[in-house]
Amino acid sequence: MKKIQFIIAVLIGIFSVNIVQAQDDLSPERKQAIDSLALEKVRDLSKYISIIGSKTTPWSEANRVIDRADELFMAGAEIGVSSISRPEVAYYKVRQYFERLMRLNYDRVEIEWFKIEYVSDLQRQPDGTYVGVITIFQKFKGYDKEGGLVYEDTTKKDITVYVKRKETQIGGRIIGFWDVLLGDMRVKETSK
Amino acid sequence: MMQMKRTNISFQRISLIMLIVVIALGGATGCKSKKKLAKEQAAAEYAARVEQATRDLTAILNDDNSWSLEEKERRVATIKGWNLQDENVLNLMDQVEDKLAQERADAMRKAEEDRLRREEEERLQREAAKYNSVENQFMAIAAAPDVNTANEKIDQAMRLFASPDVPVLVIISQVGGFNDYDKPTTISKYLNYLKDQKVYNNRIEQVKYDGNGKIIELELIKK
Repeated sequence: MKKIQFIIAVLIGIFSVNIVQAQDDLSPERKQAIDSLALEKVRDLSKYISIIGSKTTPWSEANRVIDRADELFMAGAEIGVSSISRPEVAYYKVRQYFERLMRLNYDRVEIEWFKIEYVSDLQRQPDGTYVGVITIFQKFKGYDKEGGLVYEDTTKKDITVYVKRKETQIGGRIIGFWDVLLGDMRVKETSK
Repeated sequence: MMQMKRTNISFQRISLIMLIVVIALGGATGCKSKKKLAKEQAAAEYAARVEQATRDLTAILNDDNSWSLEEKERRVATIKGWNLQDENVLNLMDQVEDKLAQERADAMRKAEEDRLRREEEERLQREAAKYNSVENQFMAIAAAPDVNTANEKIDQAMRLFASPDVPVLVIISQVGGFNDYDKPTTISKYLNYLKDQKVYNNRIEQVKYDGNGKIIELELIKK
């Protein structure tokens, strides 16, 4: 009897190791899928920032979008704000940054992100989280009520992305999903 | 006079005998030439067939032709019908038969793969048609020109669902029968996501309904 229990325990052990290994060694196709997913989240953020910053967005809509944008970030993440008129970079908690963005003192704001790409590919960490860095360029333009361009700059920012496999139960079945969270958004350079 | 007549008869006899001998000898020689000619013709025909067989079999073996598989098989059958006993031809024939067997197996496998692919495409088309009305609502929200229009479209679409909290799963990859998902969301958040991002780039993979025909779970897949 003890022998059978021992064999079952060994088999369960081998099976578990195989499952863990299957998740550790991602195939290139699966890795490509999570790379794309993380990039897509950054592009989603780009659109949210544009909506929040736009003066034509109704207040209720802007607040709803702030909630969605906030959900993209890890708790405690910060976003850097720079200006061509001062050398230092100010860092704000994510929600605080969005609320400031919504209240910017311009009559019209245009925010556009471009050249969104990995500067450091997603790498698996010992705890199973994949960590990478995505760089973006942000073009900001602020106009007065006469429609005149008051301020503009282009900022290069690095965003750390964390991707971790998690599980949840939906409709009685276990769903394995990739949770993408954005970390700090650091200002690398600002120019006119 | 008698003597002269006798000499004349002898001469006629000798001439007749000589004629018979000449005819007999001449006939025998002609028969022998015909047989030789036939034999030479047969040998030439055999050599031509060996040459033709060698050329065709080598072309098949080296893929140095534009023949279909059926054409190659017809040529091989013809060559086999010649029953050539040439060692080189027999050797080539063995190799060609192995090669054609492999080609036939590959062709059958490809035909089966094509059939399965066509079936899968037809299934996807049927599925797509089945979910057309839902997909159209999603596309209308993404294409709405302003927030108010988008919100009206969201209200319409929401009537298809049992509640705003109906789970929405998005498959980001399918490898080896294994699904990888994005973080699950709700239909309310997903419809607003379409409004914000102004793009619908998924396809409906699966829908679950309740007894009232309302959707209680939606599974999408990235295009």
